[in-house]
Amino acid sequence: MRNGKLMVAPTVLWLSFFFVVPLLIVVAVSFASRTPYGQVIFDWTLGNYARFTETLYLSIFADTLLVALVTTVLTIILGYPLAYFIAQLPQKWQQPGLILVMIPFWINFLIRSYAWVIILRTQGVLNTILLKFGLIDQPLQMLYNEVAVMLGMVYALLPFMVLPIYVSIEQLDHRLLEAASDLGASPFTAFRKVTLPLTMPGIAAGTILVFISSLGMFVVPDVMGGAKSALIGNLIQNQFLSARDWPFGGALSIVLAALSLVLIVLYYKALSAQQGGGKNAEDMA
Amino acid sequence: MKKLLSLLIALVAFAIVGCGGGDKKSEGKGEPQVLNLFSWADNVDPAVIERFEKENNCKVNYDVFANNEELLAKLQAGGAQYDVIQPSDYMVTTLVKLGMLEELNHANIPNTKNIVKSLQAPSYDPTGKYSVVYTWGMTGIVYNKKYIKEAPTSWSDLWKDEYKGRIILLNDNREVIGMALKKNGHSNNSLNPQEVEAAVKDLKKLAPNVLAFDTDTIKQKFIAEEAWIGTMWTGDASYTYKDNKDIGFVVPKEGATIWADTFAIPKGAPHKELAEKFINFMYDPKVSAQNYEYIGYNDPNEKAAEFHSEEFKNDPMLKIGRDNIDKGEWLTDIGEALTMYDRFWTELKTGK
Amino acid sequence: MPKTWRSHVLCAYAMAILAFLYLPLLILALYSFNESRINAVWSGFTLDWYLSLFKNRRVLEALTNSLIVAFASTIVSTVLGTTAAIALNKYQYKYKNVINGLLYLPILIPEIVMGLSLLVLFSQTHIPLGKTSLILAHITFCVSFVVITVNARLEGMRPELEQAAMDLYATPFQTFRYVTLPLAMPGIVAGALMAFTLSIDDFIISFFVAGPNSTTLPLYIYAMVKRGISPEINALSTLLMLAIIVLVVLAQVLQPQHVSKKEE
Repeated sequence: MRNGKLMVAPTVLWLSFFFVVPLLIVVAVSFASRTPYGQVIFDWTLGNYARFTETLYLSIFADTLLVALVTTVLTIILGYPLAYFIAQLPQKWQQPGLILVMIPFWINFLIRSYAWVIILRTQGVLNTILLKFGLIDQPLQMLYNEVAVMLGMVYALLPFMVLPIYVSIEQLDHRLLEAASDLGASPFTAFRKVTLPLTMPGIAAGTILVFISSLGMFVVPDVMGGAKSALIGNLIQNQFLSARDWPFGGALSIVLAALSLVLIVLYYKALSAQQGGGKNAEDMA
Repeated sequence: MKKLLSLLIALVAFAIVGCGGGDKKSEGKGEPQVLNLFSWADNVDPAVIERFEKENNCKVNYDVFANNEELLAKLQAGGAQYDVIQPSDYMVTTLVKLGMLEELNHANIPNTKNIVKSLQAPSYDPTGKYSVVYTWGMTGIVYNKKYIKEAPTSWSDLWKDEYKGRIILLNDNREVIGMALKKNGHSNNSLNPQEVEAAVKDLKKLAPNVLAFDTDTIKQKFIAEEAWIGTMWTGDASYTYKDNKDIGFVVPKEGATIWADTFAIPKGAPHKELAEKFINFMYDPKVSAQNYEYIGYNDPNEKAAEFHSEEFKNDPMLKIGRDNIDKGEWLTDIGEALTMYDRFWTELKTGK
Repeated sequence: MPKTWRSHVLCAYAMAILAFLYLPLLILALYSFNESRINAVWSGFTLDWYLSLFKNRRVLEALTNSLIVAFASTIVSTVLGTTAAIALNKYQYKYKNVINGLLYLPILIPEIVMGLSLLVLFSQTHIPLGKTSLILAHITFCVSFVVITVNARLEGMRPELEQAAMDLYATPFQTFRYVTLPLAMPGIVAGALMAFTLSIDDFIISFFVAGPNSTTLPLYIYAMVKRGISPEINALSTLLMLAIIVLVVLAQVLQPQHVSKKEE
């Protein structure tokens, strides 16, 4: 294993060629201008980045961050117990359990979203049921608003939270919990002081995956939100597929990526500051 | 460790060679020729394609895009070796200006003479050198007679307060802003910032009443009666009408956008000869009758009329009327102004 | 652990979430029996869509393409991602932060940008567009997800176990093969599942890097929206779903003892 260190080489080489090179192209394009017909001219301008600072675009950024944050919190609330449930199943049922959670996500996302529309629209399944049981007397408008967008986001991104959390709960040493309860900790305290800190790597990974993915979403706002709001994903999409402004789209993407990177670093800093708690739990046991 | 690495390398090699080889096979054998068609989904009757394959001993690869800008972005990034593409009207202009289309040799496509005169040299391709009209129609107001007793006549009817929360507009900046421009009596291609700004100001008043912006599933929303009134293309209206007979369609008196999807051959198409054969085949009267019955859009082929069924000929949604066509205006490529349209569009969406 | 009310609540909660995940699929399956060509309202029962599905050459081709691409890119990206995650956890690197950044960045870049820039790269380096380019692209965006997932596992893993193996004179390779890998396995499986999920349903990147004759199922479906997605797709999805569930159950029934013993 002298050469073990080289294990990282294939991946690094792969990403250098298939990711860094194209990324450099994007960076270059973000400093360029465009012709009326969308061709890129490399005249090295900062104009695209300057445009981003207009309030219109900044406010879209802020909205997007908010939506991403709420989505992430909701997926943790929904995903953690589910991951916990699977992780405490007998060994033999864990993998089928995981696959059961994943199957819906192997079916095309667009048609699953349309299925939600069929459920939630004014003449939809849910309204029909509610009307039949006399719970409402007017169909509710459940679609094409922010709540619907949020529902769609959570629905789309749940597995990215469940999988990493499952992975870290599964390796939890149950003797630690027993020890905690032997020491008189209530189940809630044991969870807060032992389980939660020890499964933090999973939550962290899930948070990053969900948060980042929700920043780039554009299908959900269109289908579930009636395309009435614009998130950063839609804005970027539009630069390439309607405004023919690759340079501005490129600049927006770079800003988005840089911002996400900063957030990730801050997040990990905050986590490692807390990490002391996790270690303590282990020592305690 | 070495084992793992070599396994890895073997896998990558397999992925590249194995699949690369697979891709080439169909080309390499040479025998059945290949036609690479890049089109909208479900835009040609599969039976028609099969017939063409049989008659010409070739294979048609039918690949799909979902909107014009996707097509452009892909061609611009240097993608794809397509033989026949189906850009819409204004995109033809753009592609011509970018030098991305092959000139058609009309001697090889004699059947295109069957196309109705008025569509032979439309303003987006005035010489008819680069494109042939395939499907065409207009953008109008669709409404549900159950909820709206009096047929709308003007674009401004959309602004009526009683339709609050029941309106759907196409999710397309050119269509929506163009509509508001038409309402105010301007061209839907206006480059005048004041006109565009006034139109957008009106749209901002309309926006709170809008249920959704939607191009793709607008049909479903009207069939399921989620919406009462909105803007729609003729072909889609015909589609919607088949599943909901309460649907009505009008072209407002101020005039409306007229649009077309076309056949064109991109520069550097590897099988140009076969591509022209295909285009010619599509305008054979019998073929086109069968094809348009399947896709349900207006047939621009005059000679095909005798082969069409009564049902198709009497489809109220497809009867546009001479005067409406004359009042129609093609969307043209607005070049630089696209940035202005996009900005207003973003403002409209975010309500700012 | 004794069954307490708490585990019942947990079970009920998990079932509720599963119901939330499967509700749309139920509707989707229901509409595969709907007469109307457009997924709008219920207009009557039919099996026609199942029949026409098997005659639809293009859907079946798209499905095959999707499966080939998904399996190939899952395998490669899992191997790449796992080795990178293990190496980074085990060894000190001078430029660790740079490497970490490189591994995280691909998920930060919007898909459309990645798709377009890869297309530019492929056309500049004359890599033909087709299944090959699709697989290359899919591997590229899946790797990071695998790294992050496997890493979540390794971070919680105790180094003492590997240390113990070394103390017992296991060679580094044996330690890797018999200690590290099995311990990391749930993370690797989860990473592979994630890669497969991302690949099988990717649309934007695939759109740009696909060439003639390599239309995948998502590409086919997205392009259909303009005319209305045919219920054939619902029929196909329903069949796929059933097939996967049957496979999972079969696998479970046919080889349970063997696996569970080994895992313990």
